Amino acid sequence: MNSFKTKMNYESPCDSDNDWTNSSEDSKYSDSESSVPDWDSDIGEDGELVYVKIKSITKPVDESKAPLLENCEAFKLRSDFKRSSTRRSTKGRIFKVLKARKVTNKLNGNEKKKDVEDNNKFVIIQVSKNMIFSSEKNCQIEKLFGISVETHADGKTLIVADFLPESKAIYTPKVKTGFYLHKINGIEVTSFNINNVLQRVIEDVDNPKLTFQVVTEGYNLDIEKLLTSKSTPENSLTQILKDAMCSVLYICCNDVEYQSNDDKGVLYCFPRPFNQNFLYNTRGAYLTLNHLAPKSLGTSEPTVSTVLHKNQLINITYASHYSDLLLVAIPSGAIDVFAAKRVINDIVRVLEFLYGSLKTCFTKPNNVDKLDGLFSRFFVTLLFGSLGENKNKSPSEVHGSSYFEELLAAQAVSLPLEVKIQIDDAITELEAADYREWIDDVENFQRLYTVIGSCLYYSGHVLSSHLEDEDLKEVYAYLRLNGILKLSTEKEIEKLVIWKEVFINEHRKQSKNDVSENRIPDGRWFILIVGKGHFILATLMEAGGCTEDAVGVTPPSPFYVEECESCLELLFEVGLNKYLPSWFSSNSQPQVEVTPEYLTKHGRKLRDASSKLDVRSSSKVSKPHLDVKRRHNSTEQINTGSTSDNSINNYHSTSQHNLYAQWYNGPLKQYRHSSLDVSYSEDSGSIKSNSELSEDRIVGRRADREQKNRRDSSESDSDWDKQDSSRSSNIDMTDMRKALLDELNHVAVHKITAGEENVLFHFVHLESEKGILIAPVKNIEVQANNALYTYILKTFRSASKKIHDLLQHSIKFKQSDLPSNPLNKILVAVKEYGMLFEAPGEILSQCGISKKNCEPFYFWVVGRVFSEPEPRELYLCYHESVPQDLTEIAYLLSYLE
Amino acid sequence: MSVIAIAVASESGVPIFSRKRGNNDNIQFSTIASLHGINMFTKCHNLSLINTQVENGTILWKEFCKSVTLIGIATGGLEYDLELLLSCIHDAMVFFIGKKDLENLKNIDQIKRDLRQCYPIIDYLLETLDPNTVPRSTIVLDSIQSMLCPQAQQLQQVLDNYAQTVTGRWACLSIHGHLVATSSDFYELDVREARLLLLLAAAQDGVPLRDSLVYLPQMSPNVAFRAVTCKLLADVYVLVICGVTPPLSQIDEIVLQCWESYAHIIKEAKLIHPRNFPLSITFDPVFIGIMVVNINKRRCVFSRHLHGSNQKSRGMSGVHRIDILRTFYVTTARDLAPEFKLERDDREVIDGAVSEMYWCSEYHKCHAQRSGNLLCCALYAPTVPNHTMRLLTNQILQDLSTNKDIFW
Repeated sequence: MNSFKTKMNYESPCDSDNDWTNSSEDSKYSDSESSVPDWDSDIGEDGELVYVKIKSITKPVDESKAPLLENCEAFKLRSDFKRSSTRRSTKGRIFKVLKARKVTNKLNGNEKKKDVEDNNKFVIIQVSKNMIFSSEKNCQIEKLFGISVETHADGKTLIVADFLPESKAIYTPKVKTGFYLHKINGIEVTSFNINNVLQRVIEDVDNPKLTFQVVTEGYNLDIEKLLTSKSTPENSLTQILKDAMCSVLYICCNDVEYQSNDDKGVLYCFPRPFNQNFLYNTRGAYLTLNHLAPKSLGTSEPTVSTVLHKNQLINITYASHYSDLLLVAIPSGAIDVFAAKRVINDIVRVLEFLYGSLKTCFTKPNNVDKLDGLFSRFFVTLLFGSLGENKNKSPSEVHGSSYFEELLAAQAVSLPLEVKIQIDDAITELEAADYREWIDDVENFQRLYTVIGSCLYYSGHVLSSHLEDEDLKEVYAYLRLNGILKLSTEKEIEKLVIWKEVFINEHRKQSKNDVSENRIPDGRWFILIVGKGHFILATLMEAGGCTEDAVGVTPPSPFYVEECESCLELLFEVGLNKYLPSWFSSNSQPQVEVTPEYLTKHGRKLRDASSKLDVRSSSKVSKPHLDVKRRHNSTEQINTGSTSDNSINNYHSTSQHNLYAQWYNGPLKQYRHSSLDVSYSEDSGSIKSNSELSEDRIVGRRADREQKNRRDSSESDSDWDKQDSSRSSNIDMTDMRKALLDELNHVAVHKITAGEENVLFHFVHLESEKGILIAPVKNIEVQANNALYTYILKTFRSASKKIHDLLQHSIKFKQSDLPSNPLNKILVAVKEYGMLFEAPGEILSQCGISKKNCEPFYFWVVGRVFSEPEPRELYLCYHESVPQDLTEIAYLLSYLE
Repeated sequence: MSVIAIAVASESGVPIFSRKRGNNDNIQFSTIASLHGINMFTKCHNLSLINTQVENGTILWKEFCKSVTLIGIATGGLEYDLELLLSCIHDAMVFFIGKKDLENLKNIDQIKRDLRQCYPIIDYLLETLDPNTVPRSTIVLDSIQSMLCPQAQQLQQVLDNYAQTVTGRWACLSIHGHLVATSSDFYELDVREARLLLLLAAAQDGVPLRDSLVYLPQMSPNVAFRAVTCKLLADVYVLVICGVTPPLSQIDEIVLQCWESYAHIIKEAKLIHPRNFPLSITFDPVFIGIMVVNINKRRCVFSRHLHGSNQKSRGMSGVHRIDILRTFYVTTARDLAPEFKLERDDREVIDGAVSEMYWCSEYHKCHAQRSGNLLCCALYAPTVPNHTMRLLTNQILQDLSTNKDIFW
């Protein structure tokens, strides 16, 4: 992996930085009044369009400095929309507030090139002539400089491979292995001239001066660029993928069909040339295996083969299409077997979505360039999924794109009802396509498209989906594998428009059994993806049936693009772009405990101590402190003190809504400038069942008793969790500066675990049929900024993979009508699987709990499958101190939706 | 639901044998050739196929001694152990014909003939991966099935004495195929060698006294030893590995000398059998099956008759209980013993230190916990709450580690 990164960087200086930095020039263009949309020139010959423009300021620091300016300007531009002004009346109010707060600030575009320039940084080291290093290999360069070098894959550049022990002190920490040896005494060195240069150094009296080229992590892989490029991916990228052992092969085994094919049935191969592709060279093995397994061995077709090639473990996944075979190879280091099995499904999904079937995908004329681009995007997303965020971590930890949650389904967030309604409302309006207001002559215009559904993402989370389940899965796979979701998470999008013809699942299935009378029309379908800020709106459109037929090349219609844009615009206008970050950082639905060490005895002491000190400057994202909360709660809840004091206060004490968190939360803290529509959150608490809320208002002994009753009546086979606990409550922080935290006021924080304290660390509630899962927000780990929490999450994810695999037996058994013969009868009965983990001492001591005064820290990872009415899986990670009943938690979770 | 093991000469591609269990057809010659071809072909391209997963199963190639390739195909849920199975099969081959012959493969027909004698043992081994049968002698591949009896210590002395008199070192006593007592040096043998010895006795069903030439795959793969199996009572065998002398006739007398006076002890030990635990260990009635593994000594004890004969089992047949525990152990609980991991295990490794695991299914619950060297998997009725389960397993583990009647 390491060497790989270096290679990836190598090309960059030659390919000219300008190519990669992009956008600096672009951003100067203006969204003028001209009626031609700015993406018009980007439309391809086939009518497809990919247009991406990223806000030039991508640094979170900048964002926090001048977010308002940015947004206000955006508003101005958008308000030029000819229609948007009539869409909503609420908009005016917000807009005024925003204007009032407008701060003048100059844009600062200075920093944006910094990352890239890193690549051209050089480190100069002077080595004393007097030093002679002992070289075992009797190698000149080792003797002189104490470093050993190796040649880059290009056969020219020299890479620092290792330091001799004696010389280490000279070079580190400035020079690291993997850097390029660029110059010696000002002379550029390559593997060809190195010996001559060394000879000169020996003859020279002066101390030699070595120049190393700094190699940084692979910033240069720019998904934006990949998305928009229409030509074949550049050679450098192909080389990177080749080195990483990524490969795709599509083989047609029906000789009759492609007799003319020179490549013996290979219809597609990437990266090329063919004979350098290891997958191409060994295709016979997989092909034979794929035939042999079902026919002669009585097993199913192979799903994945793990092979060792050039000392690298590679997972090769199989996807059969009639007699054809698609093979995809991905290095095991980046994508493990668990992930690889799911990735191939997603790839097939996307290809079918875009082309109708695998066959048409690879036989479509003049499609090779497009496929190259598509697959290189896939691989880049898979390999470098989260490189941007995790640049400090070692490559082995960079598993961003193979996170358990991401692989299984699209992650949804549960939002307050009000917000949900707003969002659904906006999308529904788009889908309704009621254009009477904009078009004078409605009668004479047949509409071009029917919107058959759309879904909205924010920072990679599904906010709302009006798509069919299968469509949603396909759209999600498309967005994820193409890196669009990642792009929208990491960067703020100024404008993104993607238009593509697709083949929807319903249509693909139908054409196979052509009978039903309610068949969907023989039309064409298109996906229109529009993005702005961190929002991505994907809309499926149908041409045919009641709309005008789309004939020939069909470019996007500016009208519909604007419709979608104005739908997003509306979300901005109601302030959702400000609301969501604060909602995402509120950790409330349900709340998870992000400072796990506070659950130990010693940790409790720590917490109490820190709350007394009121450590504002704590380096962690500090939890709200007990005392602080007490103060805030005191006015309203002083009367609760008598009996349920403990539970409520403790409970509040673990809530995340602290005043200070915002200072440490980096990009999420925009809500300081909040100008939110307060009405959203007013009764967001009512999502939780009303009865429970009202019960919370009954205080004292009666509340106690009633809560107990309620718990007793719930069917739990564990008698441990029959302790009273308040499961939900309104936070009323009356004396808090309202202006700052308005939108979080009245937010109901939900605790779904039993027991006094919140022992929940993480959860995943998966509905695989729907392709949706619910889990804490993706950046919860960053929010927590806690070593123990990170450790717990990592363990949770790897354990959940194992649990998930085992639980699939049960799900498959229930779904299939087949006799249970091929399945293990014991495994199909398992419906819950739990593992207890112990956190290692080192991690605990990092969190301030020293070894001597700490009891072992245990936490459970438990998975359970619920088969009725459709299979759902719940994965839970919680502290061992309070036993939990998963059925009950699943029940409570279902209330949150 | 099947397990297939095929051995092919790596270079020539001559099939050496193929054994199978389960409901599939026999593997045809052409299939064997194709499977071997796949492996050869990828090898030519500097690529080695390590593992291929199919739905609910695994296909594996493994080359041993650079001369024999074993191909394994297993489906049905226990395929995790396929790699281990193949290396056990290889051990069995070495056990009978020695490593040298296996490496040279000079006279392949002769070797094929010689290897016939290890078929029964290979068949025993294949049973461990077949989820439809409960194996007769080897329930799990990574530890030896044993019995815990209070007499073990006493028997050890007898075994030491016996081994000495026959100029051997390693001796053990087996009852119903379970390891009961060993000589003091017995643990020098690798677990797989020890198991092969036990399987040897099982395979030589009913012969009162017999010696056979064996190679110890780990300890002496090239120099043969003599393994003497002697039937003391019904289902009781004493096994010893010794040199060429004394002759079998003499051993017959020695056995009589050494063991005659201990017949009553052996009979007492034999009474432990279906329960497999000393009577001083009592089990709570909610236990319906248990498996205890001594990780250091690689021995495991299974029991499904925990509460004497008077209690009727509720619905679940005893065999099924062992099956559940075995599946639980192989697929799940083994993660508690990282010592049992194969050198290069390409299966996903769980980050973090697991200390307990459980399963709940509709008909039963399983719980596994480790304490020091002991790993306990317990099977409970589905009505037992999880925390009770944890409590009970913990108690049993403590009981087991402190009980004086237990002698591993």
